[in-house]
Amino acid sequence: MGLGTLDILARWLHIIGVLVWMGHNYANVIQTPTFKPPRLDAAADVFAAATKREHAIFRHASLVTLVTGLYMLWYRGMLIDTLALTGPFVALGLGVWIGTLMVANLWLVLWPHQRIVLGYVQAPVEQRLRCSRITFLSSRTNTILSFPALFLMIAGSHGGFLFG
Amino acid sequence: MNLPHDSFAGTVVTGLVLTGVLFVVVRLLTNAG
Repeated sequence: MGLGTLDILARWLHIIGVLVWMGHNYANVIQTPTFKPPRLDAAADVFAAATKREHAIFRHASLVTLVTGLYMLWYRGMLIDTLALTGPFVALGLGVWIGTLMVANLWLVLWPHQRIVLGYVQAPVEQRLRCSRITFLSSRTNTILSFPALFLMIAGSHGGFLFG
Repeated sequence: MNLPHDSFAGTVVTGLVLTGVLFVVVRLLTNAG
């Protein structure tokens, strides 16, 4: 398989990755617009396995999205200019930086607290509830950031007229 | 404390406003504004 074929594969995986990752976030906003502390009783354990699987999949989808995005930029020789926000790469570059911030937010802020909420790490109920508020705000922040990230990435390659 | 994060409308409006602000910033940076 040549690098060109890999590029097409990367673009497809990039889009699928975003759909899985952000789809989870948007569904979350619609289902629970306002923060509600999770149920931590025995009945909630029924949903624990499904929740863990869902979280693992969208968490790793974010890495697929990041890696395939960086590959596509490298393949086109645009990686440095985009990250450095040079000339016409400002829109795309800003989108890339926001997306990278979102991956960092997911893995470095949300995930350490989510591990406690989901019971991977044993902790008192009060701590799990406190962590659930942090994961809510972290997740919702990523949802908000996805608006400009998606716009700038799409505008970067398809909306040249917007940015002269 | 109520944050934009705590409602559907707050999330969407904040996302759109942020997009608009960055759109203007990018237009200025690329001298298209």
